[in-house]
Amino acid sequence: MPFWVVRLKNFLATLLKNKLAATGVVFLLFFVFIALAAPILTPYTPSRDVVSGRFDAPAWISSINGPTGYSQNLAFSALSANQSGTGLNVQRSAQTATSVDLTILSAPQGGIIQVAETLSYPYLGPPKWMGGEAKFTVSGISGKSFVVSGYIERVGEYKFPVWLPTIVNRSDTYSPHPSIDSTVIAFNQQLGLNSNFDAATYIFAPRKANYNYVLQFTLPPGFTGEIQVIQFSLILYGNTWGLFGTDSQGYDITTQLVYGARLSLIIGLVATAISIALGLVIGLMAGYLGKIVDEVLMRFTDMLLVIPTLPLLIVLVATIGPSLLYIILFLGFFGWMGFARVIRAQVLTLRERPFIEAAKAAGAGTGYITVRHVFPNIVSLTYVSLALSVPGAIVGEAALSFLGLGDPNTTTWGQMLGRANNAGINTANLAWWWIVPPGLAIAILSLSFVLLGYALDEMFNPKLRKRR
Amino acid sequence: MGFRLYLIKRLINTAILLVFVIVLNFAIFELLPGTQGSIANLIQNPRVSPDSLRHLEIVYGICSGFDASGKCIPASVWTKFTVYFTRMITFDFGTSQQTGDPVLYDIVNSGRLVNTLLLLGVSTAIALVIGIFLGVIAASRRGGLFDSSSVVVSLTTYSLPTFFIGLVFILVFAAILGWFPGGGVTPSTTEWIKGQVPLTEQILVRMKYLFLPALTLTMYFYGGNLLLTRATMTEALTEDYITTARAKGLPERTVLFKHALKNASLPIVTNAALSFGTILSGAIITETVFNWDGMGSWLFKAIGWHDFPVMQAVFYIIALCVIGANLVSDILYGMIDPRIKYE
Repeated sequence: MPFWVVRLKNFLATLLKNKLAATGVVFLLFFVFIALAAPILTPYTPSRDVVSGRFDAPAWISSINGPTGYSQNLAFSALSANQSGTGLNVQRSAQTATSVDLTILSAPQGGIIQVAETLSYPYLGPPKWMGGEAKFTVSGISGKSFVVSGYIERVGEYKFPVWLPTIVNRSDTYSPHPSIDSTVIAFNQQLGLNSNFDAATYIFAPRKANYNYVLQFTLPPGFTGEIQVIQFSLILYGNTWGLFGTDSQGYDITTQLVYGARLSLIIGLVATAISIALGLVIGLMAGYLGKIVDEVLMRFTDMLLVIPTLPLLIVLVATIGPSLLYIILFLGFFGWMGFARVIRAQVLTLRERPFIEAAKAAGAGTGYITVRHVFPNIVSLTYVSLALSVPGAIVGEAALSFLGLGDPNTTTWGQMLGRANNAGINTANLAWWWIVPPGLAIAILSLSFVLLGYALDEMFNPKLRKRR
Repeated sequence: MGFRLYLIKRLINTAILLVFVIVLNFAIFELLPGTQGSIANLIQNPRVSPDSLRHLEIVYGICSGFDASGKCIPASVWTKFTVYFTRMITFDFGTSQQTGDPVLYDIVNSGRLVNTLLLLGVSTAIALVIGIFLGVIAASRRGGLFDSSSVVVSLTTYSLPTFFIGLVFILVFAAILGWFPGGGVTPSTTEWIKGQVPLTEQILVRMKYLFLPALTLTMYFYGGNLLLTRATMTEALTEDYITTARAKGLPERTVLFKHALKNASLPIVTNAALSFGTILSGAIITETVFNWDGMGSWLFKAIGWHDFPVMQAVFYIIALCVIGANLVSDILYGMIDPRIKYE
């Protein structure tokens, strides 16, 4: 076994002996896994795919509070086409889950064609929103008009008209007006509902029942022609969804969380890497070169230390424009000061050590001594500082995003909280599932870096090391 | 070196910092592409007469003068800077592009500065008292259950972002329980605005509005105090004079708070002043969450409006406050600690 493998093994063994450090490492690995496996864990794009109704609670809430009042997304399915009428000859072709071509070859005495989909409603809560399509194209009709209508039928009870009978008399594409959408006021009014009661709640009684969604063509005698049903579907959006529900736009919160982990890790690590690099260079220069260089660099460091970072970042991002790259760069450029001071102090003590003097006496140059003798002695400080600075960058980005200064093309945890804040929290909107997961994610990720950093500090800092 | 010389050195340092902040502000707002200070919008405004525009262009240091045909002779960066510097020193921040009021009026006369200072003062004071008290107890029972749990709790609250704490408080205490209002500084009822509410009730209602934001900031800030107090107290408790005090038979409370804390308080006091910048950052966020009408939420609104004069003024004032706090901390440090050598 090569030497470095043994060293790494020993290092990990010592690190994981510390319970807090082990906890930090476990959480960290968890987030790294989520970040890497994001596309596998969720099929959606964050903040683009509307997956369900707005403010949907997590789906598992029904198993805690009992099934009453909750529902999930459902779609009508099993498309069928039935006909009734003496001598009616209809040829069906190109049938898919949502479309079918109907060619009426002859209808000597007229007749009725019904295109239908079915659904068995299993929930004890009403759907939050229903949205349907019923689009068809008519061609080659023999100068005769026919009537189209649509309804939803609670089997054995009622028929709810969703498309009032309409005359079709020319070759064209037709779809219902008002559209089948429970958020459209005209559609609700058509069912005789006032403004505070919508069609989804009205039609789908919160109990188990079977439903048919029917598009009906009433043909006159002697009618021939082709009816292509292009899109026939009806989706019920439930009031619960997925692992963490949806936000005010109906976007999946789980997806945003998962991709947010990616961004938070990238932002935290890259910004910190920049700070560490800057801090190393400036600290080494100040400490080793000393004199005027030291004086100038440290005065500059002190000045930057006094300037409040968050307001500075706010005005910088607000002036230059929100972009992930700028945010990372700014976080990196204004995060090196503390580390530079630590490095300088360490270098100052190292400079007087005998081995450096020995190297000098042997004729080694400044660059050589810095790289070969000073640098290896401050590497451990770098690890510690890396771990302890990442939370600052993560929370800093989250704060900027929370204030609406995040990159509009991304969705970070801070942006999620910012949107939740903008949507307002009040008695009507108790979307805790929109607030608690991203907030806890930020906190846990930060905390795991802090724990790791403290453990590393304890391992490397001889003052804190316990005697064995 | 005496205390006076130390003070003079600190004051010079503060002045250098002030210039640095103004240079930084100048670089951000006047030199970066995308902003031309407050004048850019005015130029596009057809209602501004050419004469007043010219006057403004001179005042704001855009033009150094005008040639015979009335064309602007662009000012050099140095001229721009001197004009800018004078404006900053005299607190002339121009007018807000959004409200049309002088920026300083919107910040000071509207009561926003007072609102911010009220929120900051109350929460800092409470956080200090609680943090120090719990820190002393944790240090005196080092290694015990109270000690370890308070360390874990304060590390956790320290890791929780302010905006998250604030949102959860609003959710729980305002939206679900309805105990406190979910935002704002005062109610917006007509009786309140006309001042028809009795004074005692006014104070009570104001405290109700202050409670949640102050609690949020306290939560954010007390952990640092606790950890620092615990660290300095642990060190102080190993000193010989503590053993002496205990040997004298003094009650433990006197030993802890009179003997140990007095000697351990120096880093705590200076840290409180030094971390002023951090608290201010927390306050900006907290004010935004709770719609608390102070400097922070004003800055937030200015971001939305792209109101650069307001942004630079708020940043400048915040930086001034932090620099001031640093000076105070330096002076306190010099006065409290008899061991300091003023170097």
